[in-house]
Amino acid sequence: MMRGLALAALAGFILLPMAQALILSFTATLPDGPHVQGSIGLMNYAAVLMSPESQSAMLNSLAYVSVNVALCLICGLPAAYALARFTFVGDRHFLLLILVFRVTPPVVLSLPIFLVFARLGLVNSPVGIGLVHCLFNLPVTIWILESFIRSVPREFDETAFLDGHSGPGFFFRHLIPMITPGIGVAAFFCFVFSWIEVVFARILTVTAGKPITVAISAMFGFQTDIGAVMAMTCLSLVPAVILLFLLRNHLAKGFVLRG
Amino acid sequence: MDRWADNRAFALLLPALLVLAVVGGLPLLAVLNYALHDIFTLSEVYWVGLQWFEDILGSERFWASLGRSLLFSALALMVQVPLGIAVAKLLLPLGRHAVWGLVLCALPLVVPWNMIGIFWLGMIQPQSGIFGGLLEAAGFDYKFNPLHTWALILLVDTWHWLGLVVILAYAGLASVPQAFRQAAAIDGASRWAVFRHVELPRITHALAIVLLLRCVDSLMIYTEAFSINAGGPRDATRFLSLDLGEEIRGFSYGQAAARATIYFLIVLSIVWAFVAATRSRGSQP
Repeated sequence: MMRGLALAALAGFILLPMAQALILSFTATLPDGPHVQGSIGLMNYAAVLMSPESQSAMLNSLAYVSVNVALCLICGLPAAYALARFTFVGDRHFLLLILVFRVTPPVVLSLPIFLVFARLGLVNSPVGIGLVHCLFNLPVTIWILESFIRSVPREFDETAFLDGHSGPGFFFRHLIPMITPGIGVAAFFCFVFSWIEVVFARILTVTAGKPITVAISAMFGFQTDIGAVMAMTCLSLVPAVILLFLLRNHLAKGFVLRG
Repeated sequence: MDRWADNRAFALLLPALLVLAVVGGLPLLAVLNYALHDIFTLSEVYWVGLQWFEDILGSERFWASLGRSLLFSALALMVQVPLGIAVAKLLLPLGRHAVWGLVLCALPLVVPWNMIGIFWLGMIQPQSGIFGGLLEAAGFDYKFNPLHTWALILLVDTWHWLGLVVILAYAGLASVPQAFRQAAAIDGASRWAVFRHVELPRITHALAIVLLLRCVDSLMIYTEAFSINAGGPRDATRFLSLDLGEEIRGFSYGQAAARATIYFLIVLSIVWAFVAATRSRGSQP
């Protein structure tokens, strides 16, 4: 009984702000727009989906998030394997280094990153943002993958090596299929943290390539159509919620961490 | 140790190190370099040595912001960590269905950061918000009453990050074998005693990570605090990172870089203290 009440309170606390956003997204909120203020319908979604700016914003976001997930997995997998299976000079220092980079606030590095990336020609491009988001996503990827690889017994590697599999062949044909859920969880967290990040995404898109978060901010003005803003926000939640649903059984497994 | 000793494994870290050097190492060096210069335009740069650091560390404004940020961080930890553990404990007996609780708690994590404040402001908006009329009647005024602004930002931050605490605490608690709890219960241990002596020692590592992440993230809170009241009323919620954002927008790059360096050193010392604390605990039997 007490447990049920507590769970209901928790659900209310988490869902109410979302419910409010959802209600607003179906309501016409402009006093002198094409629809009567307060009427209910899909007009905000139609307006957002039709506008070329929001379409390109969604594509931009998808582009840099894909770059980021790919980079994090390509660089994170070998590093996670090394940390899970070997002791070597500098392993603890590396863990400390990625911890420091994970917790460094984006706003601290936003200015030099802009200047460095402007020199490298990476401003306004999805590659630039995808690369910068590795700063906090690569450490998370390495932590998650490391704990998944460690849960595969070491004998698994040894048997494969005895059977004559080489390093890369073993890696792609045997180890990666074993840790697919881990790769999914790591990709989920990279996706989410990259998709919703604002500070870097804003500073690295001066004239073009605006992602969805910045496009939402740009909708605020002298007379903000809050219904359209909420419709855009609700649309931006869809991919992450789908991923969350698909990975629900593996969410908590990525975080059994080692000291 | 159940791992092979082989220094060649370091080569596997190289791709990750290369990326981190470009996105983290290079900008950090640049920040340090700018911090020692006065930058009018990018072609007019003067060496000022440690002048910016003296200015910032000597200003009352910096210490006031630091105090506010530390207080906020402490409050956030005191609310979110116990609450997160309590929710994880609540979900644990649900067994297979607990994943739905985790999904529920993780929902706020996927909301764009700049919209989190707006969601809540929409909810307490007097005309159209679900709680608008109620809160207005109760005299709630987040715009001009500092106490109410603080409460709102703390509530919003808790809403946003509770899921992370719950997921990590749940992962830790789920790894405690059920037999341990039953044995303690048979010995007549109270639920609090089971938690304190059986579960807590086994989840300290997961908790240490949560503490560190939440501590640093709440100390450097930016987007949510800015979108709610932009540091107001009368600077009552002007946290460390809001000062920095102001300087960057005002193009005082040299001073902003010096401030960023100071903030980085604060973060670094917190990480160092955290690692030192977990190591000394790990070496005890």
